[in-house]
Amino acid sequence: MLSLHNTKCECGHQNAVGTVLCESCGKPLMENAESDTPLEMRYDGVARRSQKSNPSIIDRVWNFFSSVKIAVYLIVLTLVSATLGTIYPQEDSFLNNFEPSTYYKEQYGIPGQIYYKLGLSHTYESWWFITLLVMIGTSLVICSLDRVLPLYRALSKQQVRKHLRFINRQKTVYASQIDGSAEEWVQSFGNQLKRKRYRIYSDGTALLAEKNRFSRWGPYINHIGLILFLLAILARGIPGWQMDKYVTIPDGDIVHIDDTNYYVKNEKFTVTYYSDDELPEELKGKARAKLYETKAVLYTCESQCGDTSAKPELREVERHNIAVNSPLQYKGLKLYQFDYDVTPKLKGVKPVLINKATGETYGPFDLPMKDAPLEYDLGVYHLKLVANYMEFAVGDDGEPVTLSREPNAPAFIFLITGPGLPEKGQPYMYFPMQKDKEKFGQDQLNASIADKLEIKVQGMENVDFSEASTYLNVRMDKALPYVWIGATISMIGLLMGSYWQHRRIWLRIDNGQLSLGAHTNKNWYGMRADVAAALRQQGITVDPKSLDNGGNNA
Amino acid sequence: MGKYRRPVQIVILLAVLIVGGYAIGTSLFAAKEDGIPKVGGTPPDFTLVDLQGNTHQLSDYKGKAVVINFWGTFCPPCVKEMPEFERQFAKWKDEGLEILAINLSEDTLTVNNFVRRFELNYPILRDVNKKTERSYGLRSYPTTFFVKPDGKIMEIKVGGMTEQDIDERVIELLKY
Repeated sequence: MLSLHNTKCECGHQNAVGTVLCESCGKPLMENAESDTPLEMRYDGVARRSQKSNPSIIDRVWNFFSSVKIAVYLIVLTLVSATLGTIYPQEDSFLNNFEPSTYYKEQYGIPGQIYYKLGLSHTYESWWFITLLVMIGTSLVICSLDRVLPLYRALSKQQVRKHLRFINRQKTVYASQIDGSAEEWVQSFGNQLKRKRYRIYSDGTALLAEKNRFSRWGPYINHIGLILFLLAILARGIPGWQMDKYVTIPDGDIVHIDDTNYYVKNEKFTVTYYSDDELPEELKGKARAKLYETKAVLYTCESQCGDTSAKPELREVERHNIAVNSPLQYKGLKLYQFDYDVTPKLKGVKPVLINKATGETYGPFDLPMKDAPLEYDLGVYHLKLVANYMEFAVGDDGEPVTLSREPNAPAFIFLITGPGLPEKGQPYMYFPMQKDKEKFGQDQLNASIADKLEIKVQGMENVDFSEASTYLNVRMDKALPYVWIGATISMIGLLMGSYWQHRRIWLRIDNGQLSLGAHTNKNWYGMRADVAAALRQQGITVDPKSLDNGGNNA
Repeated sequence: MGKYRRPVQIVILLAVLIVGGYAIGTSLFAAKEDGIPKVGGTPPDFTLVDLQGNTHQLSDYKGKAVVINFWGTFCPPCVKEMPEFERQFAKWKDEGLEILAINLSEDTLTVNNFVRRFELNYPILRDVNKKTERSYGLRSYPTTFFVKPDGKIMEIKVGGMTEQDIDERVIELLKY
């Protein structure tokens, strides 16, 4: 290392630029080296790896991220912008049919419009928020690496005999005259500390006692956990790693889950309500759901997937009764019960054709509401379906129209041929629902044929309707296990760093003069108690408080 | 460790560049695309069957001016537009105009009756289970996409149009 500064210590050790305390003997090297105030012991006074005398571009980038000050700014900036995202609901908290460009303005006025225009309605997915996260991640890696490696080096090759100024400028100090053999005193003092689970390193008249060094690695293990956590969050952007959508399935239907190879069937949705005696007074008479359950079957598509002209071939892979807090789970895919709709939907009827004169009935025949067959042979009669309407109405021009594509008020027009009817057939209008039959006047519309024939459903067993639709929340989050692993590692690091303290005691005896200094990264009270207890065993009684040499955190 | 310092720095900064670049890139990309077609963007491809059973894939129409119209018999402005599109198709088909009218997942009989009643000659495609409609992010009907020969969307018109409206847009579309 070429440097203009002379970084060589008087003990002969060559230190790196930026070193605060000599890596070998601990002598203070910086400007206030002659002062008597307690030393700054952070990172044991070693230089950060990135501190260099002539930085290149890479070094400058590295130094930027290596700065704790920058890291703090980044964290504060991220916190503030994450807060902004909570002012109004985020776009992804809305379900279908949501138009963000108008919603925020209509709901919250001008502030809402500004909020939307600034892109704060999708804060957490925005490029600048992701950029902040990436920068924090980078800062975590570089800050840690730049400090942990020199610290590791410094702690793994510590000198036992430290410079007197180093010892005397610790925050916990003791000095006195010792009678008798210095070696024996050091030996016996070391044994006292051993019983307190210190590791002892001695070179005769000097001693280093150390315990719980591993707690120094706590913050770095915590950072490794956080980096993993962040990477897992970023990994959610990988296609197929995260999904959060909703499907609506009427009873008995199979629905494709968009952007996947999965189909899900709702075999039966049931909802049971609390009976009145199970409810408190103020809720009696109100329908409170006790259980909603979807008998669901999950399929994967084997062939003809995504082909609108053919039916896909499905294979059952999982079956589960989905209830609240009991989702269907298959290979990371989870289907949660989300909502339901108990409006019945007509799926099909099985009516019969009745000859009003003779009372003879023909049928019943299957008439599904959607994609009904076009021809029906019923004994002597032949029915041809010529038109159908899902929600029948009469348009402004007097023509029949449909108001929607859902079978809310279905109507069918058959052309019937058979005995007693014109050769080219006679039209017959059929409304499967009784309310529509009356509302639109089926018999009046059918006029003369209404006297001869009637199509009607006999009994509810011939009506097929789905009683309910279930709403399922489809979720997939492959990053979640990694988030948990990251969080666990981070917590382990946090505990290591918080519940244990790295304590060190240095002492040397020069011509009967004992100099003792002790350092810990937290809990100075405990540090002083350790020193005072060991001294007491040696016959020196001191008040632990008197060991305090001033400084912060004392 | 000293001699590995520079390679380690480069490896870490490269990893940051790749991982971070990917994360930021996808968030930028997602913000722009959103899956739902926008003016200047590319309409999602589809393969649908017409009433005669022929398959039509949108990508086969690349290089042509295409009007994609979503319609249903239950939507009065759609019904009003269909004969207008028919006249526009007759007027411009020799200039290379293609009209693809995608029905909103209604059943065969309904669509057949409608097409027969209005004698429509341009392809009527059948969407199934609202799949195509969802991929186009439709919110109301009718919605019409005017797609330039380079495959980019010139305009998205939500709601009914007069024949004059359609004519003006087709003239502009054929300029490309």
